[in-house]
Amino acid sequence: MNVHGEASPAVRDPHLPDDSAPGRRLHPLTFVVGAVREMLALLAAGATGLLVGGLSTAFYFTLAGLLFGLVFHVVSWGTFTYVLYDDRIELRRALVGRSVKSIPRDRIRGVDISASLPHRLLRLAVVHIDAGADGGEGTLNAVSRQEAERLRRALLTRTGAVPRLRPLGRMRRRWYVYAPLSGAYLLTPFALAGSLLGTLYNVGDDLGLITRDRVEAIAHDMVGLPPAVVVALAILVLLAMPIMSIVVFMLFNWDFTLYARGGSLVAERGLITRRSVSLERRRLRGVELADNPFERMSGVARLGALVTGLGDAAHRGRLLPAAPRPVAVSLAARVLGELPGPLRRHPRAARGRRVVRAVAPPLGVGALALLAGQPWVAGTCGALAVLAVPLGLDRYRQLGHATDDARLTVRSGSLRRRQVVVEHGAVVGWRIRRTLFQRRLGLATLSVAVGAGEGGYQAVDMAEPDAVALAAAITPAWVTPFLAAPTPGGGRRT
Amino acid sequence: MRPPAYRVSPRAIAHWAIEYLLVWGLLFGLALGVAAWIGDSGWSALPGWLSDRVRLLPHAVGGAGLLMVAVAPVWRYRVHRWEVSADVLYTRTGWFSREWLLVPVSRIQTVDTEQGWIERLLGLATIEVNTASHTGSSELSGLPVGVATRLAEDLAHRAHDLRDDAT
Repeated sequence: MNVHGEASPAVRDPHLPDDSAPGRRLHPLTFVVGAVREMLALLAAGATGLLVGGLSTAFYFTLAGLLFGLVFHVVSWGTFTYVLYDDRIELRRALVGRSVKSIPRDRIRGVDISASLPHRLLRLAVVHIDAGADGGEGTLNAVSRQEAERLRRALLTRTGAVPRLRPLGRMRRRWYVYAPLSGAYLLTPFALAGSLLGTLYNVGDDLGLITRDRVEAIAHDMVGLPPAVVVALAILVLLAMPIMSIVVFMLFNWDFTLYARGGSLVAERGLITRRSVSLERRRLRGVELADNPFERMSGVARLGALVTGLGDAAHRGRLLPAAPRPVAVSLAARVLGELPGPLRRHPRAARGRRVVRAVAPPLGVGALALLAGQPWVAGTCGALAVLAVPLGLDRYRQLGHATDDARLTVRSGSLRRRQVVVEHGAVVGWRIRRTLFQRRLGLATLSVAVGAGEGGYQAVDMAEPDAVALAAAITPAWVTPFLAAPTPGGGRRT
Repeated sequence: MRPPAYRVSPRAIAHWAIEYLLVWGLLFGLALGVAAWIGDSGWSALPGWLSDRVRLLPHAVGGAGLLMVAVAPVWRYRVHRWEVSADVLYTRTGWFSREWLLVPVSRIQTVDTEQGWIERLLGLATIEVNTASHTGSSELSGLPVGVATRLAEDLAHRAHDLRDDAT
């Protein structure tokens, strides 16, 4: 961190005009966006205050709050500047104290641009700079769209040249109907409705509209509804769920497009808030194809990237939110290279282990419930245990691994199946795990340690010699010294 | 794969035994407390078969603890081994479930040596080798202090020389 601020005569980026020397300000309209939200909330509160109590103290309080908010936004706009140097970008805030945040440019891993609805109306954008664990992060809220694009180009390319934007993949309109297949979007409307109801309740409570009598009256009315209406309502909700999930999916992923721009991948998405995420290609270590049983039946898959040092990778590393499997696979091939295949299945001995591990938890709970004299719980658990048998069998069917001369791939899971493809060069270690039971069955779980994504991916229950052979084939220099018999004597002995 | 060449110090058995004794002793105390509390309170919310048998809980916990203290440390000593080849740290750890871990020296980010109070009494140390991935990070306990210090220095030095950016 450079505490000297502008005192240091740093070399300035030759591609920048000289007026950047004392630091650039954010766009003047920024505080409008910031203030608009508070203004709306305060205006609503003020209007209700006026209606309920006339020109009361509450109304003047609201007015004062509004003024204070405006002043705050103007001051924070006026005291914030940023400077782009050859080797770093500095974000400076000088109000009473002075803080300088300096992000080294060679640590920057991604520059995201997002724009909410008010931002878009004013042609502004928020720039978020992510420099991983050792570089920190910074936000410029907000600059003009052109400035955002210019900053991203300057920060990511380091040369200042304008790289070509080449589309790699784009979501088709009809793929939005895949949204209900993924459980997450099916449940989002409920979360939204829940928070909406909660807000309504709180507001109503504040205004004294909700009394015990009214709540009880509503509950009584609900209980008193004829069964036909209840059934109709349930059917309506069931019908609304997939439609709502498609709507939510479109809000987040509208016109999802993946571009290649110089050395990075740029993903753009969103209907109201347009979001764009840049991933540096040299930090890409692999890709992940995920699906669930419903998506499998419809031949749909999701594609994600494994990127070193990427926070919130589940959302930001997304390369395709939902697409027909062949499209996802071919995009993966364009981003990373041909996927190795076909997958080799794991030995028969692994099947029993998958089934046992699927059945054991409900069976165990069921046995406890039986002991405790809870036949209903025990019965439910028994039914679950029976259902777990096909689940275990499918988990076994999905196990697989493969490698070629550049990448390896492992696949596991059933309800959430994942196939991970990792470049050989990205492997930072091997972990082989064998429990007592695995040793008796001649099985081993091989974990590939990777400095990206979840840090490790498992090839579950491989044949033990296969696990060693796979590791040896990919990194012969690391494994072969330990395949032979140990050299007698020598070295440190304890 | 052949096992790594070197065993850890035999004093590690004592270290693990003391650790297990402390943990299981604590659990035994808790079990005694729970049994006494439930036995006295005559809590009606619990099913009768449970409150009748609750005095067996300390026995079960104590038995399991004794078994662990007797078996696990020796078992672990027989499993725990380590070796450093030209550019790879190779360890085998665990007991009931075993883990073979290969960490190339070129991918090591940090090497820490640690000593808990039991380890200080016994003159042992633990080495923690960290890479960019949690899966690829290794912890080797039960080394004599001298060996651990030398090994940590050696690894850190070589990691610095060999370091590449592949994380």
